[in-house]
Amino acid sequence: MGIFEVYHPLFNFFLLNVGYAFSQQIVLRAGVFSVATGGFAALGAYCTAILVVDYQVGEFLALAASLALGMLTGLILSWPLARLRGVYQAIATLAFVQIVTALLLYAEDITGGAIGINHIPRLATTWQLLIAVAIVTYIIFSIGRSGIGRAFDAIRQDETVAGMLGVSIRRYHILAFVISGAIGGLFGGFHALLVYSIEPALFGFEFLAMVLTFIVLGGKGSVWGPIIGTAIIVSLPEIARPLAENRQMAQGILMMVMIAYLPNGVYDSLVSLIRQRRAAKWDRANQEKSHAVAGA
Amino acid sequence: MIVQQLLNGLISGSVYALFALGFTLISGTHRILNLAHAGVFMTGAFIGYYCVVLGLPLWLAIVLAMIGSGLLSYFIDIVAFQQLRAQKQIEFAALISSIGANLILINIAQRLSDTQVLSFPFGTFPTIFFHFAGVRVSALQLMIVALVAVLFGLLLFYLYKTSFGRQVRAVAGNERAAMLLGVNPKSVYFQTFFISGALAGIAGVLIGLLFSSVYFLMGEPYLLRGFVIVILGGLGSIPGAVVAGLLLGVMQTLATAYLPPGLTDAMIYSLLFVGLLIRPSGLFGGQAIAVAAGRR
Repeated sequence: MGIFEVYHPLFNFFLLNVGYAFSQQIVLRAGVFSVATGGFAALGAYCTAILVVDYQVGEFLALAASLALGMLTGLILSWPLARLRGVYQAIATLAFVQIVTALLLYAEDITGGAIGINHIPRLATTWQLLIAVAIVTYIIFSIGRSGIGRAFDAIRQDETVAGMLGVSIRRYHILAFVISGAIGGLFGGFHALLVYSIEPALFGFEFLAMVLTFIVLGGKGSVWGPIIGTAIIVSLPEIARPLAENRQMAQGILMMVMIAYLPNGVYDSLVSLIRQRRAAKWDRANQEKSHAVAGA
Repeated sequence: MIVQQLLNGLISGSVYALFALGFTLISGTHRILNLAHAGVFMTGAFIGYYCVVLGLPLWLAIVLAMIGSGLLSYFIDIVAFQQLRAQKQIEFAALISSIGANLILINIAQRLSDTQVLSFPFGTFPTIFFHFAGVRVSALQLMIVALVAVLFGLLLFYLYKTSFGRQVRAVAGNERAAMLLGVNPKSVYFQTFFISGALAGIAGVLIGLLFSSVYFLMGEPYLLRGFVIVILGGLGSIPGAVVAGLLLGVMQTLATAYLPPGLTDAMIYSLLFVGLLIRPSGLFGGQAIAVAAGRR
């Protein structure tokens, strides 16, 4: 129990970031280069915080509202953004995050401006967070195994081919945005209920870089990628003190090395390596068998 | 009053244009959004600051800052981008890699400056003010405007009137074909990244002087503004960057003066968002420009 007490906040932080990682993963998996997760998270966090603090709404209702808000924002955002591609999509979603941050700073009466909202009751427990992560993991897992996941993969790998095969690219891009928004909003809500105070600066450029690193590190092909990527980044500062002091440098080096040498992430690369080995073994076994048959 | 506002707008616009020139040069020639440009810009300001503190004259500090950040920029190209050119999805990979490089530079600068805001010693640049027709302008501001004009001219001359520039444009058009015709792409990469870095370096020193602050996060606001400029002016268009930079400066000053306070940022990023949707190629992005954006 003692060890768990020490690492309890870290574990909460890890679970929270797994949620954000999934929100980022689902869009990247569909070939959408969106960095809007920070914007969804900011909206979700403020939605929950305002409902809980100012209107004494119950925590579950507030979280549901955050989820719905994220979903709605994703839907609205997807409508214009499904037209853009690549870098243009990334910049447009970055603009969205900046607009959200600027409006949060502007609407001081409601959001508290740069100071943010303080004294948020700490209503979320680790168990609730764990259950939420489990449900989201299951949903992402089943999406990955279903036709939607295959459509996402096809669009990411080659949009023209996917379109020729009858995959409606627009529809799946919208779907990816909506799911990403819902997850981002929900975990933004949890964020507000875990950390006592929120401010717009929490969801800025650093947040964006961190969430992208989770996926680059872990891989975007399966549910394990984001979990492993998040675990590595979150535990880095705990492993050694120099790493904690130079966290950004460690993160930067990891990003550069990973994207240059293992662009599919740790987990996805490992899986494909094992598959290759297995296929090679199977081939060899087959060859030997056929030799044996020929010999007899 | 309005004349003074317009003038202030043009001056801050020139500052933005100064930052965006190098940024747009790389995005036009190599189809890379180099987010590490912000880090190089900040490094230039730091080099300039330490040179001045060590007692070197300002002009020498500027020259050293340009050389230092030019070399740094080329080094980033080698470390962050060279490996990626073999891969297919360079757009995404380069973005991630440059975010990583930027994080490393920010971390180093933060450790070096102890998270302090440094400022140039008083009197580094003579504080002279000119008054005419009720308008007040400092010598430094005039110098920045003049410098943007000179650098813009030099850059255009280099790209369109010299043999080096023809090689750069050839590589921008089609690297393979340029190589077959005897252009050495390595030397082109060196030139473009060095020039881009040197431009970032001089921008860093001058902006550090103008606002009398040099700190590790100084690149971030300029990077975000840089995105707006590059998109509005057309990705990779050098005249576009200057015009969009000036336009942005004027609009920002007018918005700060006449809109309710705090809405300026929201307006600028909404402009970027809408601009992307209506005309992703920007004001000047078109087939006519040889150093054009890489869109498919």
